[in-house]
Amino acid sequence: MKAVPGAGSQRAVIWWRRLIVMTRKEMLQLFRDVPIVAFLVYSFTLAIYITGNGIRSQLHEANLLVHDADHSISSRELIHRFQAPFFRLNGQVLDSREGLRRLDRGTAVAFLEIPPRFHEQLMTGEPTAVQLLVDTTNSANGLSVASYAGRIVARFGQESAFDRGGSFGDSSPDLPLITSDHRVWYNPDQNEAWFECISHLLRQITIFALLLPAAALVREKERGTVEQLLVSPLSPFQIMASKVLAMTLVILGATAVGLFGVMQPVFGVPIKGNIWLFFTLTALFVVTTAGMGLAAATLARNQGQVGMMTLLVAAPMLMLSGITAPMEAMPASVRAVMALSPLRYFIDIANGILLKGTGLNILWDSVLAMAALGASLFGFGLWRFRRQFQ
Amino acid sequence: MASSEPPIVKVIGFAKRYKKQVAVDGVDLEIKKGEIYGLIGPDGSGKSSLMKAMAGVLTYDRGTVEVFGTLVDSERAAERVKQRLGFLPQGLGLNLYPDLSVEENIDFFAQLRLVPEQALAERKARLLAMTRLDKFRDRAMKNLSGGMKQKLGLICTLIHEPELAILDEPTTGVDPVSRRDFWAILAQLLQEKGMTALVSTAYMDEASRFHRLSFLWEGKVLVSGTPTEVQALVPGSMVTFEAAPQVDAIARLKTQYMQVEALGSALRVFTEEPIPAAAMQSITSSLGTIKPVQFRVNEPELEDVFVALLLRQGEQPSVIEMPSVVPFTPNDALAIEAKGLIRDFGPFRAVDHVSFQVKSGEIFGLLGANGAGKTTVIKMLNGIMPPSGGEGRVAGADMRTAGGAIKERIGYMSQAFSLYLDLTVVENIRLFAGIYGLDRRATDQRLKWVMSMAGLKGYESNLTGRVPMGVRQRLALGCALVHQPRVLFLDEPTSGVDPIGRRHFWNILSRLAKEEGVAMLVTTHYMSEAEHCDHLALMYAGRIVADGSPADMKLSVEKEAGHLFEVLADDPGSALLELQRAGFAGAALYGTRIHLFCRDPAGDKDRACNALESIGVKINSVTARPLSLEDVFVYRVMALERQDRAGGHEAAA
Repeated sequence: MKAVPGAGSQRAVIWWRRLIVMTRKEMLQLFRDVPIVAFLVYSFTLAIYITGNGIRSQLHEANLLVHDADHSISSRELIHRFQAPFFRLNGQVLDSREGLRRLDRGTAVAFLEIPPRFHEQLMTGEPTAVQLLVDTTNSANGLSVASYAGRIVARFGQESAFDRGGSFGDSSPDLPLITSDHRVWYNPDQNEAWFECISHLLRQITIFALLLPAAALVREKERGTVEQLLVSPLSPFQIMASKVLAMTLVILGATAVGLFGVMQPVFGVPIKGNIWLFFTLTALFVVTTAGMGLAAATLARNQGQVGMMTLLVAAPMLMLSGITAPMEAMPASVRAVMALSPLRYFIDIANGILLKGTGLNILWDSVLAMAALGASLFGFGLWRFRRQFQ
Repeated sequence: MASSEPPIVKVIGFAKRYKKQVAVDGVDLEIKKGEIYGLIGPDGSGKSSLMKAMAGVLTYDRGTVEVFGTLVDSERAAERVKQRLGFLPQGLGLNLYPDLSVEENIDFFAQLRLVPEQALAERKARLLAMTRLDKFRDRAMKNLSGGMKQKLGLICTLIHEPELAILDEPTTGVDPVSRRDFWAILAQLLQEKGMTALVSTAYMDEASRFHRLSFLWEGKVLVSGTPTEVQALVPGSMVTFEAAPQVDAIARLKTQYMQVEALGSALRVFTEEPIPAAAMQSITSSLGTIKPVQFRVNEPELEDVFVALLLRQGEQPSVIEMPSVVPFTPNDALAIEAKGLIRDFGPFRAVDHVSFQVKSGEIFGLLGANGAGKTTVIKMLNGIMPPSGGEGRVAGADMRTAGGAIKERIGYMSQAFSLYLDLTVVENIRLFAGIYGLDRRATDQRLKWVMSMAGLKGYESNLTGRVPMGVRQRLALGCALVHQPRVLFLDEPTSGVDPIGRRHFWNILSRLAKEEGVAMLVTTHYMSEAEHCDHLALMYAGRIVADGSPADMKLSVEKEAGHLFEVLADDPGSALLELQRAGFAGAALYGTRIHLFCRDPAGDKDRACNALESIGVKINSVTARPLSLEDVFVYRVMALERQDRAGGHEAAA
């Protein structure tokens, strides 16, 4: 190079100009793609609203059937403790076989059987038992039914034991009892919508970050425009980075709409931490995930293939990174593989900033892991891209 | 072709629209048994819609389509005719399965059509031998070259021996030798099986291959008939000569003649004057002080006729305004220089010691079959693929060390036109200006230049996907020129564009070369376009096997093989076979006419006449024809292929 003062800065200006025109081009193309824009808008507004309103992991109106062979005060008392909103009493049957049939047919989720002499045994202090049959085809729901019912029965047993003790002597018995006092942190009302709609937001960010840049790259391959770019003075890095940059800006915009347009006003999701930190780290997450999509795009020949590939990556990422089920519940092998999922780190980051108000001092390890992952994924995609056209 | 027989296909008043877009508007057509009927027209002229309707795979809005006497107006009627026809859709190998081998593809189509096993084995062996694909039986279809794919597509379409073959642009993107093979196979099958074929093409120079043809233009039939009948519609002559300075000569001629083309240093002008002497006289007088030399007068080609017809229709050749930036004075500066370029892919040598030079202001044509190594040469010169050996300089930069500098100094236009169809015309130009690092002022300036050079006024904010192909092509050229490159690479730049659009495009290229001194490297499969080049190189199996101006190349083939003659005989099919038996190896059928090379015109003529008389075929006329570049290409490549096969046999023995 000639040693002209400013030649270096001139080159830098041109380098940036190239990146900017390419980024603008990607955004223009994206916004002219009506179905994609519609999908994007839906995903970050209505879909969040529906999820926040609709999904409950708490037990809700479980269909209960009862066979009461005792017909006593105690049995009636117990039955009436199975209350809405958790349970819905669906009537009684006279025959336990009928109850089993109803379970088989799926018209009842739980079947409670109270034996004859239930009240009498309680009163005399004899041990007694009730039977609860639960349909655990849907295991999560079934387990909740069992555990709620267990608690109700246990409490009823405890209280009747006290009552009986009270009826014999006046003073309350000196039994050692532990009461557990809950202090619910970060989400004191235990508002499920918060977690659900944050989770949904993360899901949408993940899907679009995987799909949009990958689809944009494959579209250039399909149409043959990538050849034109390769013989131009653009570097492979500029070609790929401009797509990621454009899609990151779009996704950040959509996230802002979802957060300030739906989650905060409708569900009152608190934003406790630094919002700029949240968006910065979201950008980092999108770039990292986009690197994964771009690597897939270099393997695909057409949009159909890249769609399938991103689905293949997205499904386990969304299922196993800790949104759907907690990370701690996974087998060690799955946890090891999921260390490669950027979403695994981003869940901690997003929930941390939005709900707990934590900052970099606590989240730094997640951020570091994600950045390292992003750099290597992006590097791999770039390497594949270069190799492909040699 | 007994005229009493009912027609195979009869179309009356056919019309088809896609939403608001009228694709075909009132077409009448009748195809007789045993003929090759041609549908000629640019992309979007309605050829495919018409063919699909005949094949029973597209509904239509108006008119009647009768195939084998059955009215194709319902799915059930379509099923009845589908049994008896074969349809090859447009697109190279699009009807084939890429992961199946050649043989598996053929077997699949045969089984689909319930061809008995015995018949399948016989036909397969024969068709594979004819197409010279028998060596590649086990090769996956995706690993075949373009020409081979198309031949396999033809086999799969014809394996059930249909009475009517409907072939939609079977020769697009296929090299001249494979194309000639393709026509030979089709002619032979027609002859033997009494088959009928309907073939479409966007290339006017293939028109002479048909017995009868219709020229479609914007959904209507502009003209139809035999090639001779069509030619007779526009009497005139094509005058070729040299005149210097060429730029001024063109300017003067344009005031008088509608069709003026620059072919390298020569000029080609169409006059409506059929008598040669008078034609030359009128051109000489219109040139005034510029003295034309080396006059040649020929009959106009079919393409010239079509262009003349379109111009009569009121289609105007657009005017090019090219505000010259830097006036160019011819010099000997080298724009591209390749010295002993080699590229190996594993043990396979794709490019083998390729050397050539292109001066500023010169149009250089790189010809060759698919897979001959043209694209690899271009990739190396563009600095996106390092050579395994040899060296080269492009626009003053060394391609081994300064790939980046090369990319900034060249323009590149590919066959796909590589534009963003969802951006507008102006957005595309601005994008490429930005990619090449132009600042705002320079961008505005060049935008204006590109708009007027390419005649894009009025299309500024149209989405690129919605403008006609010819406009899209010029836009792609404009985008490639936005940064004023001194060297321009054009990789098959003219597919699917109408004849007037193509002429316009070449006019621009030759002005860019002559007035601005841009050096160009062009690849094309269409030899009528290669005539525009100043200098040609023919590649075969990675090597340059012939090199020179178009005239030189023709001359050297004439020296080796003799002159080209056109024979009109009563029964061209049998006549061709007999001539080939009599030793005229290069004889080929063009519709009803036979072309053959004669080294010793008088003696060979007698020999040919005797051969034909011996089988009772009457010769109607024998006339000399000027050699086309396609003849040159096919002659050279066939000779090399024969050599390779002979060499292969020796090696095997």
